[in-house]
Amino acid sequence: MRNIFKKLKIFTAIIDAFRNEPETIAYPREPLVLPKGHRGNILMLNPEQCSGCGLCVRDCPANALELIKDTRTKFRLDYYPARCAYCGQCVESCRNQAISHANNLADPTSNPDGSVIVLKDTLEKENEKDS
Amino acid sequence: MEKITIPIGPQHPLLKEPLSLLIDIMGEKVTGGTLRLGYVHRGIEKLAQSRNYIQNVPLIERVCGICSQVHTTTYCYAVEKLLGIEIPARAQYIRALMCELERIHSHLLWLGILCKHIGLDTIFMHTWHDREMVLDIMEELSGGRVAHAANKIGGVRFDLDEDHGPMVISIINKLQGQIGKLRDMVMHEPTIKARTEGVAPLSQDDIRKFCVVGPVARASGVDVDFRRDDPLPPYDQLDFSVVTHTAGDAWARTIVRVEEIEVSMKLCAQILQDIPDGPIEVRASRRVPAGQVVVRAEAPRGEVVYYLRSDGSDSPARLKIRTPSLTALSILPKQLSEIQVADIPVVVAGVDLCIACADR
Amino acid sequence: MFIQLLFYGFVFPGLIFQILCAWVFEWLDRKLIARFQRRVGPRWFQPLADWIKLISKENILPKGSNELVLTILPILSFGAVLTAGMYVPVAGFNFFSFEGDLIVILFLLSIPTLAYYLAGIASIGIYSFLGGSRSILQFFSYEVPLLLALSGPAILAGSWSIQNIITSQLSKGPFIIFQPLGFILAVVGLIGKLKRDPLDIPKAKSEVVAGALTEYTGIRLAFWHLAMNVQAVLGIFLLINLYLSWSPMDIPLLSTLAFIIKFLGLVVMLSVISSVFSRLRIDQLADIGWRILVPLALLQLLVVIFMGF
Repeated sequence: MRNIFKKLKIFTAIIDAFRNEPETIAYPREPLVLPKGHRGNILMLNPEQCSGCGLCVRDCPANALELIKDTRTKFRLDYYPARCAYCGQCVESCRNQAISHANNLADPTSNPDGSVIVLKDTLEKENEKDS
Repeated sequence: MEKITIPIGPQHPLLKEPLSLLIDIMGEKVTGGTLRLGYVHRGIEKLAQSRNYIQNVPLIERVCGICSQVHTTTYCYAVEKLLGIEIPARAQYIRALMCELERIHSHLLWLGILCKHIGLDTIFMHTWHDREMVLDIMEELSGGRVAHAANKIGGVRFDLDEDHGPMVISIINKLQGQIGKLRDMVMHEPTIKARTEGVAPLSQDDIRKFCVVGPVARASGVDVDFRRDDPLPPYDQLDFSVVTHTAGDAWARTIVRVEEIEVSMKLCAQILQDIPDGPIEVRASRRVPAGQVVVRAEAPRGEVVYYLRSDGSDSPARLKIRTPSLTALSILPKQLSEIQVADIPVVVAGVDLCIACADR
Repeated sequence: MFIQLLFYGFVFPGLIFQILCAWVFEWLDRKLIARFQRRVGPRWFQPLADWIKLISKENILPKGSNELVLTILPILSFGAVLTAGMYVPVAGFNFFSFEGDLIVILFLLSIPTLAYYLAGIASIGIYSFLGGSRSILQFFSYEVPLLLALSGPAILAGSWSIQNIITSQLSKGPFIIFQPLGFILAVVGLIGKLKRDPLDIPKAKSEVVAGALTEYTGIRLAFWHLAMNVQAVLGIFLLINLYLSWSPMDIPLLSTLAFIIKFLGLVVMLSVISSVFSRLRIDQLADIGWRILVPLALLQLLVVIFMGF
């Protein structure tokens, strides 16, 4: 007899599901809440602490960071968001906690090799100061 | 009646990942099948040789989406063995916690897929809703739902705060109620049992001949579980039971996996209770001394074997991965030769293939 | 007179009314099933949006298949169900009824099934062939109980015209009280005819990818979907007229309201049955069909003939 009640469990499951709120949200019309540690785009949190050591470039598995270095203080750090895998290895490897994640969803792009974000640029400023 | 060949081809609603099965049928009876692999081959073992050890950790995580934590855990243990360092106890417990949570979500995913292919869409949606709770825990802890970058060579990347522990325990308690209801539904629903009982049984000799591992082997009575037989560090201090069954058909595999969810939830509660305090990482050098090592672990689908050889530089010389889905695939043509056409989804979905793991 | 015929043919109960009812049925069905699965479900204009999207896709057919046959089949099915819809009374409004129209409706409603089988054979492809042959096997298993169950009310009322059956129910009471077994068998037969969840073996997604309609795209598929949905709506209307059509008073507004409530009730019942059961195997269906359903239908028929209720 108890088996019959257990067999009817699926009926009670669908009646419960009908009475409660649905668990999915209609995304563009309703807002999406991301948790605190969500790994989004890379941005430079403390630019003055970045020393151009290049550990983040060496440890990136997708070659999404590139360092163009002139002297010890004149360098430019480029970030290609289309190649990034959002793994967070650069954030982990940085010794000075200069680079970090934003808390957003990465946007899609139709021009993968053209979108470059410059994270820190001291090349132009030093050139201007010299001339 | 003539012989027809159905291509369960690279794209098919039955398969999660591309695989080519050519099944010969005659009327409503299946007479055999051939397999073709290699549609998701990405050359991970070769790619790993040209990157350094730290770059390899996110690469190894992307071998498979469902069992990503186990792959990185095994890889990090292999590198740490070569380096000769031992990570702190708190890091070991956090790694085990993420592994057990991943086992729960992998088995829930499998249960939903099996019910969907039988025709019960409702249980599929309800099971995946429960799986969302587990993914929420993992997202709160590590920042990613599926690709949780939790490990690094020398420890783990995040720590459990004071409020993480109670949050995880409260979600696990809620999940326990849901899993109880799900278990009653699945065990006593007459149609699931009618569709899976007696389908494609495997005997113990077949299991040993083809070296099948994981829940498929345990459902036929072969008692092998590498969390108990060859344990990685925190598992030798935890106690848990290994679930076996004797029938060996698709219904036995269902029972074994549903019971394993319960065992994993008890393990999670035990880990959160016993976790010691301390640091979560240890400094590891970039150059690994020369040597070779073999490490084994228990993924949700069976035994994962990593062989790592290094020559003193900061890139591995050879990395070889043997995943459990390869053995399950090798026994699939034999299972397909004694069933009816309507049982093809039950067999192909019931063996829980992960082609991305098998192709690497 | 001609204008009146055009109105009946194209607006009510003809083309536009049936298409609107088909879209309302599809929306209700998908929304209810989504709510049972804890999802949000589609918005109210989703079936219309799907139809517009389908007619804007390109029309391709497999190489070597007979294009004329594959184009005529959806048009034939759609035409057959629209013609059948002219004779089914809706909430008491009936304009063309004659003695024997129940048989004509049942004949016209079995044309889409045959067209489905032919479409499966004619589009050369392994999945279509399997879907088509399974649909004919299923046809043999559910059609006999369905026809026997739908003949019960006709014998009880003493006439083969649906209008007379409705009039006889207004005096005697709804026939579901007299023939509950027949009602259950008619519902099971309707689920088999519409290829809905416990009996959607011909279009099981995990074995044959979409059944006989796998190779169809574009405007032909749009008309197939319309034909299937109109067939569903007409099946429900038939069930309501034959078993449930009793209203307390004869005011047109109240009887329309009662009809709508019965329609919603039947749609809810069909959606619940779709969500709860899993798919049967084809041999289990043939077993149940001939071992259980046909004897019960014969029993119901004997009870009606000999005991008169």
